[in-house]
Amino acid sequence: MISDQAKKEIDFWVTKYPEGRQSSAVMQALTIVQNENGGSLTGELIQEVADHLQMPTISVQEVATFYENYNHKPVGKHIIRFCHNISCMLNGSDELISYLEEKLEVKTGEVSKDGLVSVKKVECLGACVGGPMCQIGDQYHEHLTPSKLDNILDNLK
Amino acid sequence: MNEVCFKNLDKKNPASFATYESTGGYKVWRKILNGELTPEDILAELKASGLRGRGGAGFPTGLKWSFMPRNQEGQKYVVCNSDEGEPGTCHDRDILRYNPHSVIEGMAIAGYVMNATVGYNYIRGEFMEPYYRFEEALKDAYDAGLLGKDIQGSKVSFDLYTHLGAGAYICGEETALLESLEGKKGQPRFKPPFPANVGLYGKPTTINNTETFANVPEILTRGGKWFADLGVENSGGTKCFSVTGNVKNPANFEVPMGTPFSKLLELAGGLKEGRTLKAVIPGGSSTPLLTADTAMNMTMDYDSIANAGSMLGAGSVIIMDDTTCMVKTLTRLAHFYYDESCGQCTPCREGTGWLYRVLQRILDGNGKNEDLDLLISVGEKISGNTICALGDAAATPVESFIRHFRHEFEYYIKHGRSIVESEGQLIKEEAIV
Amino acid sequence: MSEIEFEIDGKLVTANQGDSIISIADREGIDVPRFCYHKKLSVAANCRMCLVDVEGVPKAQPACSTPVASGMKIHTRNDKAKSAQKAVMEFLLINHPLDCPICDQGGECELQDVAMEYGTDVSKFNLGKRIVADKGIGALIQTDMTRCIHCTRCVRFGAEVAGIVEMGGTGRGEGVKIEPFLTEGIQSELSGNMIDVCPVGALTSKPFRYEARTWQMNAVETIARHDLVGSNIYTQTYRGRVKRVVARDNELVNETWISDRDRFSYEGLNHESRALHPKIKKNNKWQETSWEVALDFAISGLKKNTQNADQLGVLASKNSTLEEYYLMQKLARGFGSDNIDYRLDKADLSIGNTMLSNITLAEMESTDHALIVNSYLRLEQPMINHRIRKATLNGASVNTINNKKFDFNYQTDLEILSSPQKTLLMLQSILKSLHERTKTTVPKYLSKLTVDDSQNKIADDLIAAERPVIILGEHVNSNISSSDIASIISEIAALANAKIANLSLNGNSLSAEKVGFKPSNNGKNAISMFTENTKAFLLMDVDFNYDFIDSKLAADTFNNDDVFVISLNSFEDEITLMNSDVILPLAGFYESSGTHINFDGVAQSFSASVKGPGDSKPGWKIIKVLADILELNGFEYTDSTQVADDALSMSSANNNDLVENNIKETDDSKVAVHWQYSPYAIDGITRKAKALQETPIGKMNDAFISLATAKELKLSEGDLYHGVPVSINETVAEGCVFVHTYQSRKG
Ligand SMILES: Cc1cc2nc3c(=O)[nH]c(=O)nc-3n(C[C@H](O)[C@H](O)[C@H](O)COP(=O)(O)O)c2cc1C
Ligand code: SF4
Ligand code: FES
Repeated sequence: MISDQAKKEIDFWVTKYPEGRQSSAVMQALTIVQNENGGSLTGELIQEVADHLQMPTISVQEVATFYENYNHKPVGKHIIRFCHNISCMLNGSDELISYLEEKLEVKTGEVSKDGLVSVKKVECLGACVGGPMCQIGDQYHEHLTPSKLDNILDNLK
Repeated sequence: MNEVCFKNLDKKNPASFATYESTGGYKVWRKILNGELTPEDILAELKASGLRGRGGAGFPTGLKWSFMPRNQEGQKYVVCNSDEGEPGTCHDRDILRYNPHSVIEGMAIAGYVMNATVGYNYIRGEFMEPYYRFEEALKDAYDAGLLGKDIQGSKVSFDLYTHLGAGAYICGEETALLESLEGKKGQPRFKPPFPANVGLYGKPTTINNTETFANVPEILTRGGKWFADLGVENSGGTKCFSVTGNVKNPANFEVPMGTPFSKLLELAGGLKEGRTLKAVIPGGSSTPLLTADTAMNMTMDYDSIANAGSMLGAGSVIIMDDTTCMVKTLTRLAHFYYDESCGQCTPCREGTGWLYRVLQRILDGNGKNEDLDLLISVGEKISGNTICALGDAAATPVESFIRHFRHEFEYYIKHGRSIVESEGQLIKEEAIV
Repeated sequence: MSEIEFEIDGKLVTANQGDSIISIADREGIDVPRFCYHKKLSVAANCRMCLVDVEGVPKAQPACSTPVASGMKIHTRNDKAKSAQKAVMEFLLINHPLDCPICDQGGECELQDVAMEYGTDVSKFNLGKRIVADKGIGALIQTDMTRCIHCTRCVRFGAEVAGIVEMGGTGRGEGVKIEPFLTEGIQSELSGNMIDVCPVGALTSKPFRYEARTWQMNAVETIARHDLVGSNIYTQTYRGRVKRVVARDNELVNETWISDRDRFSYEGLNHESRALHPKIKKNNKWQETSWEVALDFAISGLKKNTQNADQLGVLASKNSTLEEYYLMQKLARGFGSDNIDYRLDKADLSIGNTMLSNITLAEMESTDHALIVNSYLRLEQPMINHRIRKATLNGASVNTINNKKFDFNYQTDLEILSSPQKTLLMLQSILKSLHERTKTTVPKYLSKLTVDDSQNKIADDLIAAERPVIILGEHVNSNISSSDIASIISEIAALANAKIANLSLNGNSLSAEKVGFKPSNNGKNAISMFTENTKAFLLMDVDFNYDFIDSKLAADTFNNDDVFVISLNSFEDEITLMNSDVILPLAGFYESSGTHINFDGVAQSFSASVKGPGDSKPGWKIIKVLADILELNGFEYTDSTQVADDALSMSSANNNDLVENNIKETDDSKVAVHWQYSPYAIDGITRKAKALQETPIGKMNDAFISLATAKELKLSEGDLYHGVPVSINETVAEGCVFVHTYQSRKG
């Protein structure tokens, strides 16, 4: 179920677009709904977003499966999105990702046993001068080293 | 250095409304609101400035703006492309973080010139900090009465909104961006029709890159000629370069067009101790790779880089030193395009997977001798046959990597391991520094 | 539009500004390979198969999305074009299974055809093919998405033609999957066209699966006659059976589309209850017999039971052929009986509604306003609805007056709910409003009526439109005031300058009307036959359960020991056996030659696609022989085309006399029941077509009642109303139960 609060937020986005173009808000709607649902989407939520924005459900499903940032399986409380593209790679992202996998005993694409984190390898996040880097929540963490990473992980609750 | 887009970088609160105003910001816009500048004046200055689109293709901005049917009835739109996703590129992010008002003012001016009263800034979904900064700036601009309808009784209207992406490199392609803005999958449209005729919601639309817009207020403040003179012929002004990869201090630098590559490399601290330059990608992952020698002899402007055999692109300079395995690096890029293909058109959907799989096969030690020719031929079959330029972008690195470093690929195929590793140059600990 | 001149493959041609290269190539007979382009769908340019060389342009250009320009020099098969096309072909084959020998599309596959041209060396790819696990999309369409080439024709068909966005492309890149969100089955009544538009074997006909290979079959041009469009089709036959039905292009009739009903109903032909041999009932026991014996038995029974000729009743369903109607009425009248009727499901037979339509199918799509009365147009007349949908896409508005609100596949403006018993009054108020607005004298009988806002709006919209049409649908048939309703609509149309589309004459009714297949003088009609001493019946293709407006009344008569019933029928289910005395096995749809007269008044003749099974015979032949045995004159036919010639040369017996208009006292104290069959239960053959029954449309089974009416009837959600589950629903008119079902009529 989409909460009233979330609906309000979605409706705020709807006001940005011309009348009858409420489907422009679908990406944000899915983001809002996903955040509210612990980081992933379900078929029911997609249906509800479709109903709320008066869109064909399959069109919402298309959007929900096209963009990288939507999850269709439960995820950890925090998602660590680690860039492994060229600039980060040249600065050792692969090694750091392995380090992370070992430390958390979790493979990329999976959720840690305690459900606290998921690790994802992602393409360029547009912070190449700060590589290696990762994103957790809204936050970018740049110029990472093993010890910096330890620190960040220790602070995740 | 840092004369236009990054000119406030050293100020205490570079992004604030006050800082922007104190350095001459919104002067042009206020002039427009006072009726002191006509669209024709502005177009003339822009043309004189030699400003070319900073999003990659380098199309002259003044000319692009003049394509808009400004006198046509009905809604028209201005859209800013802040989807920055080309591997190696991250200066638009800093413009949004440190100089958001220049983008706002640039877009507003564009709206006025093209008679478009609504603008959207499409910011990639991961850029949350830049998004908050931009929203804050937007609020300040509204609060200062600089945006809205019939602004300060001037009969000029401009409303500006941000739109957030959700993770898809292809949305940087302008028509995919429009589709995405309409709430659809980001699949590029075929052209013609062009956005200037049929754009957002079917209405005439102009799309420019963040940096392109950010340049506009300063150009109009200090004059087109001033800007043009900063750079060199055919490449007016300054350009923000992201220098990344194997350098001591990867960072963004705004330098005049025509700055020698070697100077830029120096600014980034040069190579790490004991390393030599192996190769450079000068304009982001979709531009052809150059060898060290060629790179060291070029200057950073459209023509010089083109003469060197590559493109200025988005100004994303990726530096590779002698520890870099070309097979692995190319495979990573191929994976990127494979992952980011929108899946709409056949050559790209099927071809990017083919390229990636053959490269991964080589990397896994199962390469065959014919694979290199196969890769080149698949690339050729993609190039030019797709709806958008992502297909070409995927083929470009394959061709240039293999052309310049064929022996490394052959070595890998023969021995099942990298020539670089074999020569003991890749030191794990060091790479993590 | 300005003409421009350019060159294509060395030939100088002209075209209009904006025409695509591919459309000109098609016009010039130049074969440009394509997969995503379809002349009736928007351009997607995603397959890239149609790449051609335009001189002066560095890249090859897609012919489907590139507009021609003056002076252009286009080469569709020079080296550059061919190598681009070959490259695309190679990419397409990377992930397309090469399982043509077991694929139902084999032999008619666009991909296979094009691939052949490029030889077998095209695929150097050897890294394994993509396998797509697909979810299935219902009973009609077999999916094999591993074969999909992502041309999105099916997706665009859904969005643009069906008007129900059900299929989409999920995921991205190589992982794109063409699929629906839900898997319960596609909702559209036109879904089968996706099979035709799919260029490969990803979407094929499910009922056709494993039935035959395409190259083994014969294709016969014929006509579908479930509705009054008469869509043009091919029946594809193998070893004497219809194996598949596909659309045949006819711009004026069905364009390139057909409804699912037309496509899949043929399955009913193979139903286990087909009547295969003549049968007679002796001492209440059925026995199979020869035609000779059965015919003699029939005629002697008929003679024995009728002291005078007026005791014979002749009834046929609304789906018979022109020839069958013609000969049946000729037999009856030759015998001396005027008790003839096909209007089995109509409540008002006194005069009847024979209002003529005065608009053509093709004209429908250029209307700018439609008023739909008593019709769920989308399910009732899918192809006519499609024309209206096209009109709406060009800006036409639509108002409706119905018992219930329905899901149209276009935007409607005003939807008025009106129960059957109030509909006449509603239309009279609208007529009054029109009189007031056009400043014409309000007839006395309307003077006391009040007019409300919505009725005024209906009138205003009709007046404001330039090319309005009023569509009267099938729901009016069970209304006891249907002739009055029709005559008021005629008056409304005259005042508003609107065209009329009378769709209540469904199936092949126009053929029946043409030959006067109803009482002309003092004959009994389909209701009075049952109340006024009819002793023998000759029935053609009648379903005792479904066809009669009052099936109990009919059954009581047929079951009477002293009533003799001759059934010409394709099926012999239990009720046919119970109600008949002789069964003469009738060749069904596609098994007999004949003629259908469509909405435009066009008589479309067809020959038999296959022979009827067992001993069954075409209806016209059976009737001819019956007439011969009765020694009637004028039945010297050797060929059905002779019958058709005679039938068509009859002067039309349209008795369009209108009643004096009056405000009839309708009893609206009682709740009215409207029993509406699902579109897949409208005639014998569709009801027996299995796959159709398994679709969401086929499974419709609801008795819709408003809360207030439900309370009055002491019904609640889920209760059974004459065997149909009650669904409380506020989109039904008060005082009305709208039963939408596949079940036979009760109540
Ligand atoms: C695959 C692809 C990705 C692109 N990504 C971006 C991008 O992230 N940012 C951008 O400004 N332009 C990007 N572009 C270029 C845009 O399509 C467009 O040319 C540009 O936004 C126009 O702005 P400009 O004239 O100011 O350069 C991309 C193009 C392609 C083909
Ligand atoms: S080239 Fe690739 S990204 Fe561009 S439209 Fe085609 S499939 Fe999509
Ligand atoms: S037919 Fe032109 S791209 Fe598919």
